[in-house]
Amino acid sequence: MSDLENVSTDSGIASDGAQAVGASAGPTRRSLIQGAAGLAAASVVLAHPAIVRAATESPVKIGFIEDESGNLSIYGIQKLHAAQLAVHEINDGFTLAGGPVGSGSLGTMGIYTPTPPTLTSGPGPKLTIVDDGGEPSAHAIVTADPEEILIPSGEKGLLGRPVDLLSSDGQSNNTLWQQLARRMIQQDKVDVLVAGFASAEREAIRPIVDQRKQLYFYTNQYEGGVADSYTFCTGAVCEQQVIPVMQYMVEKFGPKIFTIAANYNFGQLTAAWVRSFAPVLKAKVIGEEFPPLEVSEFSSVIAKVQAAKPDWVMTLLVGQNQSNYYPQAAAAGLHLPMASTVNMAQGYEHKRFTPPSLANMHNAVNYMQEIPTKRNQDFVARFYKMFPNDPYLGQMAQNTYFSIHLYAKAARLIGTTDQEKVRRTLEAGWAIEAPEGTVFLEPATHHASHYIRLAATDEKQQISFVREWPMIEAWWLQRLGVNLVRHPEYKQYTPQEDPFFKMFS
Amino acid sequence: MLPELTSILYQFGTNAAFLLLSALGLIVILGMMNIINLAHGEFMMLGAYAASFVVHRGMPFPLAVIMAFFATALFGIVLERLVIRRFYGRELGALVTTWGISLILAQGALLLFGPYMPPIPIPGGAVSVGVFSFSVYWLILIGISVVLVAGLALVYRATRFGLQARATMQNPIIARSLGIRTGQIYMLTFGLGAGLAGLSGALLAPTTSIAPYMGQQFVAPAFITVVVGGGANVIAGAVGSSAFLSLIETPVSLTLGTFYGTMALLVMALMVIRVLPAGISSLGARLRPIVAR
Repeated sequence: MSDLENVSTDSGIASDGAQAVGASAGPTRRSLIQGAAGLAAASVVLAHPAIVRAATESPVKIGFIEDESGNLSIYGIQKLHAAQLAVHEINDGFTLAGGPVGSGSLGTMGIYTPTPPTLTSGPGPKLTIVDDGGEPSAHAIVTADPEEILIPSGEKGLLGRPVDLLSSDGQSNNTLWQQLARRMIQQDKVDVLVAGFASAEREAIRPIVDQRKQLYFYTNQYEGGVADSYTFCTGAVCEQQVIPVMQYMVEKFGPKIFTIAANYNFGQLTAAWVRSFAPVLKAKVIGEEFPPLEVSEFSSVIAKVQAAKPDWVMTLLVGQNQSNYYPQAAAAGLHLPMASTVNMAQGYEHKRFTPPSLANMHNAVNYMQEIPTKRNQDFVARFYKMFPNDPYLGQMAQNTYFSIHLYAKAARLIGTTDQEKVRRTLEAGWAIEAPEGTVFLEPATHHASHYIRLAATDEKQQISFVREWPMIEAWWLQRLGVNLVRHPEYKQYTPQEDPFFKMFS
Repeated sequence: MLPELTSILYQFGTNAAFLLLSALGLIVILGMMNIINLAHGEFMMLGAYAASFVVHRGMPFPLAVIMAFFATALFGIVLERLVIRRFYGRELGALVTTWGISLILAQGALLLFGPYMPPIPIPGGAVSVGVFSFSVYWLILIGISVVLVAGLALVYRATRFGLQARATMQNPIIARSLGIRTGQIYMLTFGLGAGLAGLSGALLAPTTSIAPYMGQQFVAPAFITVVVGGGANVIAGAVGSSAFLSLIETPVSLTLGTFYGTMALLVMALMVIRVLPAGISSLGARLRPIVAR
């Protein structure tokens, strides 16, 4: 425990320093921070000569597999570049703010009062508490997001060693994914594995990960349910995305829902969430279509939607072929409001399709590059400075970015890259200041709470964020009683295993 | 009742037009030249890329489609001279080679042009009948696919090039002894097939996202259409099979859903190949031997 206290104090000081510099420096803030980092690094080196010797040691290896070619490369390249940015920052002596004590400032519903509470001196203590200050004047989200999240880590690299990103191209091919995972774990002996876009890819390599007790981060948005002692799922899951967007859509457009979902585990399971939550919101799924991934011509789906006359359409379409639905539906004069958990934030369809194909689309996302906060715009600027020709910086790329920083923080805290020890350290209740906002890694389920924003497009497919939830927990595995700290598990739960999914229907 | 009927007809038409347009270039390259061209989808991708490139530099879409035909045809001719001509009569060699070419083209497009090209807006609006509304552009595509197939048949039936091409494909040695420059005929035929693939790629480009791997979606429908159509009379066969397959697919999709619609199409393709190994066109050939070929 003493290790833990020491280091968290250190990072607290570093954080304060960076904020002071940031506040006073104005336009030259970046260079000053770098200077400060240099100074910090130098002072650490002076204070601990052992680190100088250690710098020549073998690098910390981050194994990284994504699809850099093939059908899924549109997502994989973003993720690779975000990982490269994170590793570059770690080697440059930076980290993201946050720590196991939860230094983040989580949002909460607040009530403003017309007269502020006061504590007066005099005969006897007089404390006017909030509720006595009169009628609430406004309800609002009270948050205090620190604007500077990239702060000096106190060393260049990790534990005195440089960090290497060993990246391999999965080529959108599940068999190859297994070979690459085996090679990285057995031959390269990576200290941590960060990999996986499609659920099929994750399920292809997870048995290998478990067999070799490999510390593994899956950074994608997905259907949820993975309870695996060696896996940390840092992307958003159904309960964080499906329910918020459905709630908004039912309120705004009406209760009749038509679901079009890709016919494989992601689409089927997410559609099950939609179906089971509709009654809770007094809504109804009046039609469902599950086109196979190979389908690319949608006239019969469009005709079915038109005949069913829903208030809005839930589109859970995946991949190149299925994205054709949007221009084809728009051309056929189908202009219903749409909701999704995958589109825009991953494949930036709002930038790739001509309006109005993606007009009136809604998605509850944990990240999109359009988020207007300063901390995010700084992150976006850092990303495009390193990769000026990239077309988009999406949700999974951001998840990958903060996950790698989170790994480095945990290893730095425990003082080793020993996988078992880092894994246990990650189960210490971490809050990390990601570009989206504060992310909390829940120890028992290895899933993360997220800052969720409802992104909506207008006629010209411009994004605006129409509703915000500063913290939504990934609560479903908790509901099922998963506690990986006390009871190791290696499986994926499906909605069929939870009686909740039949309770209201 | 009228709106439902119109909707069913429209779906039947779009399904058939999609199959026919997907298969257009392959009718020539697989059906006539007997080359199992696995780069067919990438030829269509090239056409879409070419169209997107010039549309966003101000060329009107119809001209861009024609330009896409010539650009892809030229590419096909170069490819034929450099690679394909070494594999005539070696079907498996051609299969592996064209597969390699498809990988190079798709990944090359990714490296050169990035993960996607600017989209082409779908021309034309929508027309409504009752609760249903239909894309004008798809209605145009149905018409265009009919015109294109008729044009292709005309070229092969009524022109000197068509006659020489048919002769060359039937028996190159005798054709050569009669003074036909078979090498040139092969080259032009392959170029025509590639150009037609590029043309339909450009025509379908507004309905899809223009990306390096977009070609894959057309490969399976194209091969199914041509193989089910059969070799006795490739053009009539492709027309027959696309009409027949969408006649099965449309009602099943409508009643049971897209998944079963796709299943029905595949099962029907299997059954046709089992019952008529030489394809639907062999049916016509059996009935009226004079008309065939």
